[in-house]
Amino acid sequence: MAIRTVRELGDPILRKRSKEVTEITEKIEILVEDMIDTMYEYDGVGLAAPQVGVLRRIFVMDVGEGPIVMINPEILETSGEQSGDEGCLSVPQKAGLVTRPNYVKVKAYDLDMQPFVLEGEELFARCVCHEYDHLDGIIYVDKVEGELKTTIVEEGQE
Amino acid sequence: MTNAGAVNTRAVVLDILTEVLENEQYGHLIINSALKKYQYLSKQDRAFIDRVAQGTIEKKITIDYIINLYSSVLVKKMKPVIRNIIRMSVYQIVFMDGIKDYAVCDEAVKLAKKRGFAQLKGFVNGVLRNISRQKGNIEYPNSKANMIQYLSVKYSIPQWIIISWQNEYSDADIEDMLKAFEEKRPTTIRCNKMLNSLDELKKKLDKEGIKYEPAAYIPYALNIYDYNYLEELECFEEGAFQIQDVSSMLVGLVASPKKGDTVIDVCAAPGGKTVHIADLLEDTGYVEARDILPNKVLLIKENISRNKLNNAMAVVKDALVLDEEAIEKADIVLADLPCSGLGILGRKPDIKYNMTPEKQEDLVKLQRSMLEIVCQYVKIGGHLIYSTCTINQKENIENIRWFADNYGFEFESLDNVLPKELHSKTTAKGYIQLLPGKHNCDGFFIAKLKRIK
Repeated sequence: MAIRTVRELGDPILRKRSKEVTEITEKIEILVEDMIDTMYEYDGVGLAAPQVGVLRRIFVMDVGEGPIVMINPEILETSGEQSGDEGCLSVPQKAGLVTRPNYVKVKAYDLDMQPFVLEGEELFARCVCHEYDHLDGIIYVDKVEGELKTTIVEEGQE
Repeated sequence: MTNAGAVNTRAVVLDILTEVLENEQYGHLIINSALKKYQYLSKQDRAFIDRVAQGTIEKKITIDYIINLYSSVLVKKMKPVIRNIIRMSVYQIVFMDGIKDYAVCDEAVKLAKKRGFAQLKGFVNGVLRNISRQKGNIEYPNSKANMIQYLSVKYSIPQWIIISWQNEYSDADIEDMLKAFEEKRPTTIRCNKMLNSLDELKKKLDKEGIKYEPAAYIPYALNIYDYNYLEELECFEEGAFQIQDVSSMLVGLVASPKKGDTVIDVCAAPGGKTVHIADLLEDTGYVEARDILPNKVLLIKENISRNKLNNAMAVVKDALVLDEEAIEKADIVLADLPCSGLGILGRKPDIKYNMTPEKQEDLVKLQRSMLEIVCQYVKIGGHLIYSTCTINQKENIENIRWFADNYGFEFESLDNVLPKELHSKTTAKGYIQLLPGKHNCDGFFIAKLKRIK
């Protein structure tokens, strides 16, 4: 288990397009494991590879039903609309209003490079779109409506 | 992504508790500023923060008693963060319906980890699950075996306060009072009679959908319900009424100024009594409201201008410094002095923890020093109205007897100014101790004295 450093807004790597994964190497396996640890450590619900400085099309998420790993994801279908606050581990202690589809159907590959399809609404849909954007160098602050709000300052992490 | 839509409401509560229970900050101020900061949260989230923070503060002693029954480490030995996480979780487990205990435990553990105490996760979880399992069997102190401990734990009130009240009140009266503190008190408003009649005010409230009923003791006051932000009401902005507790309105009745009187209100903020007196003067005379803090004086000024009063003014003046120009100028001096506030525990529950016998002694000295100075502003034949929002006799009757004995004042009966239902032996003698549970208002003391030389 290892916690990786999360790149923050302003780091140019967050603005680059990530490349497809062609084979699962040991390096990729360790990366995914570390991403999950890092996401939990910082109380995220999702984390994309570029956020830990690796330009690969991978993200991990956990919206309350256990960790999901998505490699080379493709969004197949979206519908509806939801508006709500979201934040990002790369933009610490901020939150902002973003409108996202309320439903998403996504295809991705697992760590055995087996394809799977998942669909979901609300937080799941929001998180998939947010993480998918990271793989194309897009951060939620690009889409935020109104101003970024400051959320609570966490003690004990200083 | 972080789930910012779900701001951790429990983390907000923890921060409030740290400020109030560890740093002795004022509960109502800290809670209001948190609710203001998180205005963008849903109504439910804000209500949750308010309820859990208020409730945990109010019930702190009861909660600590329960924790100490089931924890291997005493509450006072715990780290502040851990102690307050456990306190607010016990409040939710024992005093709130509709939240699953396991969710409370999980959130507590997560919060402990987030605040850098991952190594204490097991401890937090263990204590809370134990209490959750045992909550039907908690053994509270028995009233027959130990009355003081029983009252202290049941009503979450420091033992020293109960002991000092026992010198003045019976155990049954004390329990009635403590029960009354736990009941939610209505908001009362006073009709601004110079701007509208009571019937006109009622019509305005009807129009804005506010429910009301007659308040106790004051014919032109109403208890109001079902409002969201009072300050946003049109009739509030136009000065149709003033928010004020009935006990404070009684000060106006006791003062009962005559047209043309000059009145000095020496510790006036936020100015409820000032505007009441000015209204009673019906646009004659003059009320000078004083306070030592400029921002509080601003607050009084706001109240004066919203109530559209031409006969009142607010100025920054320290009640401890003699104002030579005011000597023997006032027909009435209102001295509602800083006090221990033990009469308004129902509204401000943190007062009971931050007050100490030493602080109370200091307040008695401060009140006496202020009385010595401000009594000089009363004309011979004029009146001094002394009031506090406490039920501590040292600050009340003992203080004012000492004052009357030494400064050429005598008590004057309240029976010609107070409603019949409040008449008693003491009102005939010139003072009244209002007690929650016995009277239908906050705990309050009012005395009326006339200057004879």
